[in-house]
Amino acid sequence: MNKLPNIFVGIFVIFGSAWLGLVNYPLKNLGNLQPVPDEATGGVLPPTVSGLAVAGHKVYAANGCVECHSQQVRFAPLTTDIAKELGKRQTVARDYLREKTALPGTLRVGQDLSNYGARAGEDINAIHRHLYEPRSVNPWSNMPSYCFLYNVVKIQGQPSNEAVTGLTGPCAPKPGYEVVPTEKAKALVAYLLSLNQSYPLPESPVATAK
Amino acid sequence: MSHDLSNQPDNLTAAERAQIDSSTSGAALLFFGSSAFWLVFASLFDVIGAIQLTYPSFLDGISFLTYGRVVQTATTVMAYGFATPAAIGIAVWLTARLCKVPLSHHRMLVSAGIVWNLGILVGACSILAGNSTSFALLSFPAFATPILFVSYALIAIWVLFTFNERKSGGLFVSAWFVFAAVMAFPWLFGTANALLVWNPVAAPAQPAIALWFSSGFFNLWLVPVGVAAAFYIIPKSTGLPVASSNLSLLGFWTLLLFGAWTGGAQIIGGPVPAWITSAGVAASIMMLVPALAIGLNLHLTLDGHYAPVAWSPALRFIVTGIGCLVTYWILVAINSIPGVNAMTQFSDINRALYHLGHFGFFAMTAFGAIYYIVPRLTGHEWPCAKFISLHYWLAVTGFGFIVSGLILGGLIQGSALSQTIITFRSSVEFAWPFRLTAMLGSLLILASAVNFAMLLIGILLETHKNQAPALMAEREENSQEPVAV
Repeated sequence: MNKLPNIFVGIFVIFGSAWLGLVNYPLKNLGNLQPVPDEATGGVLPPTVSGLAVAGHKVYAANGCVECHSQQVRFAPLTTDIAKELGKRQTVARDYLREKTALPGTLRVGQDLSNYGARAGEDINAIHRHLYEPRSVNPWSNMPSYCFLYNVVKIQGQPSNEAVTGLTGPCAPKPGYEVVPTEKAKALVAYLLSLNQSYPLPESPVATAK
Repeated sequence: MSHDLSNQPDNLTAAERAQIDSSTSGAALLFFGSSAFWLVFASLFDVIGAIQLTYPSFLDGISFLTYGRVVQTATTVMAYGFATPAAIGIAVWLTARLCKVPLSHHRMLVSAGIVWNLGILVGACSILAGNSTSFALLSFPAFATPILFVSYALIAIWVLFTFNERKSGGLFVSAWFVFAAVMAFPWLFGTANALLVWNPVAAPAQPAIALWFSSGFFNLWLVPVGVAAAFYIIPKSTGLPVASSNLSLLGFWTLLLFGAWTGGAQIIGGPVPAWITSAGVAASIMMLVPALAIGLNLHLTLDGHYAPVAWSPALRFIVTGIGCLVTYWILVAINSIPGVNAMTQFSDINRALYHLGHFGFFAMTAFGAIYYIVPRLTGHEWPCAKFISLHYWLAVTGFGFIVSGLILGGLIQGSALSQTIITFRSSVEFAWPFRLTAMLGSLLILASAVNFAMLLIGILLETHKNQAPALMAEREENSQEPVAV
């Protein structure tokens, strides 16, 4: 008896239904999400990001940062993400409109970065120092050094105003030399600073104190 | 016999079997040999990553050896360099045996194998060079995956040809599983690459698709092939039919039905529609049905005949693999309960489950199948039983260390991550000793991979012309099918 066509149809229907639900549905619904107008500034939410930050996202993906860092704040009260101040509100699909590829991550070997830009402050030099030599900032950190995104160059006349200052550990440059970020390092920092979900979205308003 | 689902693997004569096996030998040995090479490669990168996680200054600051790239190389090469070629080799051999026809179009498969390995080489180098997409199990950049796709298309066309030419008679359950797997892989791999890698769709739609792919890659591609091998080799080794065709049917259809939907359980509370996570949780818990059906069916088949597990390498590895698969599905079901998941979602438990599924189940089952198949292709036996035994114990201790270490460490790390009064720093420090245990496990896995590759080189180069089967212990009764046929 030849039942192979029946098996084929059965498998096709089962795979097809899951494909419709988990591929086609997100494609047709989430794939058409648009930014919402921001009444306060006249711009859009989520805000558009700079070209440098878009380039930085590529550096983030190329170096596998997602293997340790998640970029999603889960909802309360089931999880404590908001109580632990990873963000003020739940991350929703629309937040990823700013990215070319969504990397929500599956591990928190390192900190969640959904709102890194909101907590990092203005000190770009400190972020470069962290990327160049993580253990000079947090001695307990197991983050790799991204010193290959920087050039160690001999100081010619005036020190560069882009040079990373305050390096003290074994990676610190010799006297007369300085550490200058490459375009990739600058892009990565711009990208990290663009990670900021402080704005409200209709489907995920910022929780107000009760 | 005119049942549509047969309980007997086949009733071929020894001469017919030998003819079919010798026709598949070139292609199958190419896939098995290359998978052993990439297994050693992936295990080496896994060790580098595991050391860097505990001693971050190890090979630090070198662009192509930075932790993220190393780990993605290890997982991606493990999936496409080792697991997929091993699965293809098993599927090709099983297809020829189950359809009872010698392999035709032999060159098509061999060229597919060569192209596939070129694709892996290009893909692995480009991840290390900084071209990763960073999607789980889809890290190969857009220029590497079309090579794999072309190669796979040749293989799938060959399998369909062979199914078409098969001799009449009922299809054994393994043929169902192989058929489903061969259909699933291009569907999953093609869709995911088209939508995420080649021409990425809008980012908000991506997480759901990525999870559909990564869960499907395991549940609908690796699992059906591994289970097909178990359903074929266990009855072959004991000489008894599969215990229950109803359980076979139940296991088959529930595996496909629920396995396709489990992805959402990995992103509970995350940026996907709530019904997708609910469906994922329900499907993950319902996976206990195929776990029970497949596990029980194989247990009933072996019941009272467990003695050969002591001396037969194939049975020992496959029984261990199926045990890991059942354990994996039980742990996945527990881990997907939202209350538990809130604590464990981003912890090392994810890595423990990955190793339990991809290594504990798939690699162990594939080793068992390779130990069974290769002597039939080469016509002589494994060179040294002691090395097979060593391989087994290194592998079991290795993934035992990894899985137990990462589950215990993950529980502590996850609880630290979820409690508001505990700092992030503590979650790193608490996890350290457990990650060290897992690192030792990775070293043992690397040793076991090297051991396995040496055995395979040994049998291919015929270092010892062993005509007696290599047994891991004294044989107590006669096997039904002599080990070399």
